[in-house]
Amino acid sequence: MEMDQQPTTDILTVETIHTYIGQFHILEGVSLRVRRGGVTVLLGRNGAGKTTTLKSILGLTPPRQGQVILDGQEIQGKRAFEIAGLGIGYVPEHRAIFRDLSVAENLKIAERRKGDLERRADFIFDLFPDLKRLYKLPGHHLSGGQQQMLAVARALVADNKLLLIDEPSEGLAPVLIEQMMEAIRELSATTTVLLVEQNFIMASQLGEHYYIIDDGRTAHDGAMADLIHDTALIRRYLGASAARVGGEFAARSEQRRGG
Amino acid sequence: MKLKGFWRQNSTFVVLMVLLILLIPLGWITMGQKPFVRTVLSGLTLGALYLMVAAGLTLIFGLMDVLNFAHGAMFMIGAYAGWQFYTNPTFLFGLAPLVFALMTGLAATPLLRPLVIGWPVPEEWQRRLRTFLILLAIAVGVIGVLGLDLRDLAKTAMVSTMVAANPLAEATPQEPLARFWLRPTLLLIAGLLMALAQARPGDQTQIVHRAEQRRGWIALLALLALTVAAVLVREPAAIVVLKMNANWRFVLALLVGMLIGGGIGAVMETSLVRPLYVRPFYLVIATSGLAFVLKEVVQFLWDPLPYQMERPPLFAQPGKADSILDWFSAQTTTVDILGVTFPSYRLFIIVLGIVMLLGLLGLMRYTRLGMIIRAGVQDREMVEALGINVRRVFTLVFAMGVGLAALGGIGAAPFIPVEPVMGDRFLMQGFITVVLGGMGSVSGAAVGALLLGLARAFGDYLALKFQLTPAISEASTVIIMAIVLLVRPSGLFGKKE
Repeated sequence: MEMDQQPTTDILTVETIHTYIGQFHILEGVSLRVRRGGVTVLLGRNGAGKTTTLKSILGLTPPRQGQVILDGQEIQGKRAFEIAGLGIGYVPEHRAIFRDLSVAENLKIAERRKGDLERRADFIFDLFPDLKRLYKLPGHHLSGGQQQMLAVARALVADNKLLLIDEPSEGLAPVLIEQMMEAIRELSATTTVLLVEQNFIMASQLGEHYYIIDDGRTAHDGAMADLIHDTALIRRYLGASAARVGGEFAARSEQRRGG
Repeated sequence: MKLKGFWRQNSTFVVLMVLLILLIPLGWITMGQKPFVRTVLSGLTLGALYLMVAAGLTLIFGLMDVLNFAHGAMFMIGAYAGWQFYTNPTFLFGLAPLVFALMTGLAATPLLRPLVIGWPVPEEWQRRLRTFLILLAIAVGVIGVLGLDLRDLAKTAMVSTMVAANPLAEATPQEPLARFWLRPTLLLIAGLLMALAQARPGDQTQIVHRAEQRRGWIALLALLALTVAAVLVREPAAIVVLKMNANWRFVLALLVGMLIGGGIGAVMETSLVRPLYVRPFYLVIATSGLAFVLKEVVQFLWDPLPYQMERPPLFAQPGKADSILDWFSAQTTTVDILGVTFPSYRLFIIVLGIVMLLGLLGLMRYTRLGMIIRAGVQDREMVEALGINVRRVFTLVFAMGVGLAALGGIGAAPFIPVEPVMGDRFLMQGFITVVLGGMGSVSGAAVGALLLGLARAFGDYLALKFQLTPAISEASTVIIMAIVLLVRPSGLFGKKE
């Protein structure tokens, strides 16, 4: 098979997984290959199955068919805590931090070995300086943006080789989106990020490689640099507003190159 | 700003406390000092017992969404276990080797899995084979217990309670070891057969974990050693316990009962509850069914009679101490508190309740387990996604909750009759407490228990004074619950909707 030829470049391989939630067949054959390092983006409309793809990789909604291979090891069928323990950090959508726990506890609970937090504290506070100030406050006192940063920071406490980040820009003010993007870019220098993102500006600036999930299947994939020029493809799978953003973006980069 | 935040978080608590404190002078003046103090102390005693039942209920519901209708039966089992251990532990020590032997067999499950996974069993026969193995295990287990006169063992404590006989003399001669050792052996085989069924022979979809194997060996060897030890000491241990200082024996009875309760809780969670998490309604039926079964088993062993467990000597010297300090040296049955003659043992219950509450709050606040429980009450899936084995946390919390109920049962045993139905009303009040305080909140359960205990005590007082029906005190708790739910549908400190 193809993936056997270059086992070291892919950190994660997803082979035609099928996932059901109750009676509903949500994923009908999603395949992905995430290269080590950098950001890979999952695009697609609402309800296309992006979040379910992340949850299937992690075993929260285990796939019934297909393979998930992390670093050469088959992980489908394992329980979620075991999969996470192999080095996957998860940032769920809707800023799911623990509201009754303090910021410190929200980070502490993510430790897999004693002292994880102390080891990583400087790195985390470098990325999100606000959290240092809020350290003792309970989670429900934080604003939306701060909660989102905490959710990302929580995934950084343990030594994770792969981060699954679900819609980090959702409901954030533009300034905060900017800050979040900067943080994820910095992160991707040291680990691999698989990002689900509706905000096309953010997705197109961060991702090197993209996959489009449509109706529970992998519909398209390629290099992000090619996608932003393909307005027709964007309109078809991601809608008119993303196409407009993509068009403007492409035009601007064209201008820059020309001028 | 900080003050505002504090107020928003604690307003319920502050308002309640201010209300209660305002009620103190009112009650003191209208009722007179003595009846008031006596009623408050009775209320606190009841509240402490309600708390011991409600604490487990609220944790189990908060984390797992399980309404444990067997919680009252666990309270009752705790009372019987403590009573047995304190009065004559022959029964417990006679039963222990069999239980340990069965557990040893079951512990072999992860070790058998890699051996049987490749057995050439066709898929349609796998299920039948498992059923057959389980039936065979039950048969072997029954043969192992057959002829062991459980009722005779159970009677030892009964007799010494009823005729106040010397329990040492009542230690009936038991089966000689040469014959007895066959029983644990048979139960070990029964356990192994069950383990074989659990290892699902031929089911190749399973995953074999190496770490599980290592832990399996350790558990198996530890349990085997425990079984052998339990077989050897089953007779001398009972005598050693009986010859021990009775106060220490009581402390030990509290611990042993709590551990037995915890063990039952762990077994219950892994066997009965776990397969039904996805069917919450079945869980209601399964746990209520278990409660009936346990009540019948207890009735079979000890007859449906109420027993009175003897109070430990620390609370049993005749007379009255003038103050709590005085009681420490005199160890009398009653103590004078603000002019009221109050049973010293009930004070102990209040203290036990407070100690338990502080321990539990400390656990929730300062330990990693507590942190995981608090996080899990809100979002189990995310806790699992962080790499934490939530299933194991469930088992632990279930065991802990049931253990606390059992502890409450032993605590109550010396002053309420020990009988099969003793847990029922505590279960009812426990549920009301939990609803009142808010599902999943330990401090909510504490405040709820305090309110309910006081309501019961004052209700009883009023009923007696104005010659009303005593039902008024029972109704008062439900009325309080209704009012609180009208104002706050998720309970006083509820975080779950």
